[in-house]
Amino acid sequence: MIDIDLKCIQGNFELNAKCTIDAPVLGLFGPSGAGKSTLLAMIAGLKKPTAGHLIVDGEYLFDSARGIHLAPHKRRVGTVFQESLLFPHLNVRDNLSYGFNLLAKKEQHLKISKIVELLELGHLLTQKPHQLSGGEKQRVALGRALLTSPRLLLLDEPLASLDVRLKRQILPFLRRTKDELKIPMIYVSHAIDEILYLTSQIAMLDAGKIIATGKFHELIHDQKVLVLAQSLGLENVLHTQLLEQHPNHGYSLTSIGTQLLAIPLTEAAIGSQLSVTIAANNIALSTKRIEGISIQNQLLGKVNDIQQVGTRMLVTVDIGVQLIVEVTAKSLLDMQIGQGSTVFCLFKTQSIQLFPAIDLQ
Amino acid sequence: MTASIFSLSTTEIAALMLSIKVAAYCTLAICIPGIAVAWLLAKKSFIGKSLLDSLVYLPLVLPPVVPGFLLLLLLGSQGILGKWLQQTFGISVAFTWIGAVIASAVMAFPLMVRSARLAISQVDKRLEAAAQSLGARPLRVFLTITLPLALPGILTGLVLAFSRSLGEFGATITFVGNIEGETRTLPLAIYTYTQLPGGDSAAIRLAVLSMLIALAALMVSDWLERKALRRIGQGLDHD
Repeated sequence: MIDIDLKCIQGNFELNAKCTIDAPVLGLFGPSGAGKSTLLAMIAGLKKPTAGHLIVDGEYLFDSARGIHLAPHKRRVGTVFQESLLFPHLNVRDNLSYGFNLLAKKEQHLKISKIVELLELGHLLTQKPHQLSGGEKQRVALGRALLTSPRLLLLDEPLASLDVRLKRQILPFLRRTKDELKIPMIYVSHAIDEILYLTSQIAMLDAGKIIATGKFHELIHDQKVLVLAQSLGLENVLHTQLLEQHPNHGYSLTSIGTQLLAIPLTEAAIGSQLSVTIAANNIALSTKRIEGISIQNQLLGKVNDIQQVGTRMLVTVDIGVQLIVEVTAKSLLDMQIGQGSTVFCLFKTQSIQLFPAIDLQ
Repeated sequence: MTASIFSLSTTEIAALMLSIKVAAYCTLAICIPGIAVAWLLAKKSFIGKSLLDSLVYLPLVLPPVVPGFLLLLLLGSQGILGKWLQQTFGISVAFTWIGAVIASAVMAFPLMVRSARLAISQVDKRLEAAAQSLGARPLRVFLTITLPLALPGILTGLVLAFSRSLGEFGATITFVGNIEGETRTLPLAIYTYTQLPGGDSAAIRLAVLSMLIALAALMVSDWLERKALRRIGQGLDHD
């Protein structure tokens, strides 16, 4: 349990963050300049808040009233930064063991061999940071932080400096870390798909204030949250199971609840769990199933909620899971779709992006 | 003139060895204080910082004879500190090679601090923060992150100090005089030969020698620096 009530005044910018975190992973979501990194720096102890308190698992790390401000090295809070910040004069092995070696034996809960295996770093151990690719660097940085057996792991836009392809390669490692190590994490990003891939629990930060916390699909009914999310690009993340491969027809068939979903052909094994993303503005709505159309995916659902953001309408459709669809106001009017309407959500197979599969034993 | 241009007389060799000895001790002596002051100036803000800053760099801009004279007033046999050292420990540094080390240390110190300070302040502060967040206390962060990353600049500072010490003339001759075998370093020997009738060829030999040593020092420094840079993956010659 993490109890945050931190205030920081910096020139014209005022950060005033209040929330309690109970989820294993919290996605901290917000636009650039919202104060996400500042908040993390205060939690890590790298920046001193002006006032407030911070309690992690019952221990005060900061309390302005009692004058408590624990030094970063005493907090046992790990951080993975946007730039990996690996120590350039040390090889991968020494980077990994830097914090690990500072722990007392009984505090070394995670072994180096375990992390090397988890993050697939075995072949890199003798390399220097400048010899690594961006994605490899971030994996080493993640491993280095994990090896300090932190009671809280902060991830400050760890993928922001990577291209889309590399992002997709790193995310499964983060998921694996979450599933296997059970270290509480705060994951900061302005990419909603990254966050939803890891967790549905989010906190929205805007202009220095936490404007909402909770499950993303519950928050999305809030106009403020929606406006913000929409401005940053709304992505749906769907967790599916692979059913069939159709290499000759160039697609794979997956199930999502009771419905079928065609996705671009993948090499994953039948039965594996796949996460895919589809942008809200890549989905069309129809009041009936359409025959004679190249679009394969026509998922049946019920309209849960309709919100207007500017000239766009954001429709939440329950297809077993919540799907956000972005359409124009006019088309909704023309189709006479309202809350409770039964609709088909149409999207092309090729507009679906895959997260690579990892095998979780 | 019987000695060939390449063969050194015993007095010339003595001057050479003395110079190297003085320069080596000088470099050793200022290494740790130099890094400490550089760190202080690079990382900390405190009352009197600009005064310390100015004091450290003062010998760079003063005529060398002034620090030499001040040292004489302070550490000479009649000086405040000199008298006390003499009476308490029976030590006298004036007119000894140790005095020559002190004179060149004072003159070389600013060069060392300048390089080391620049190098320390150029180490990415976020790397130091990362080390802290991994559980390292500040001293460990300095020893394991800041110092190794600043090493190329610190090495440059040490070589500059060594070379400055080899060339030290004004402060040395003022403070410890020009005593053969004790305080007559290469520059002083060269000066002495230029004052002697027929001393030109010896002066030329020693001048060439000085140049060779200085050149060698710079080359060694360049090599060390490149090696250190390669270690942190910033060498010019990596992919």
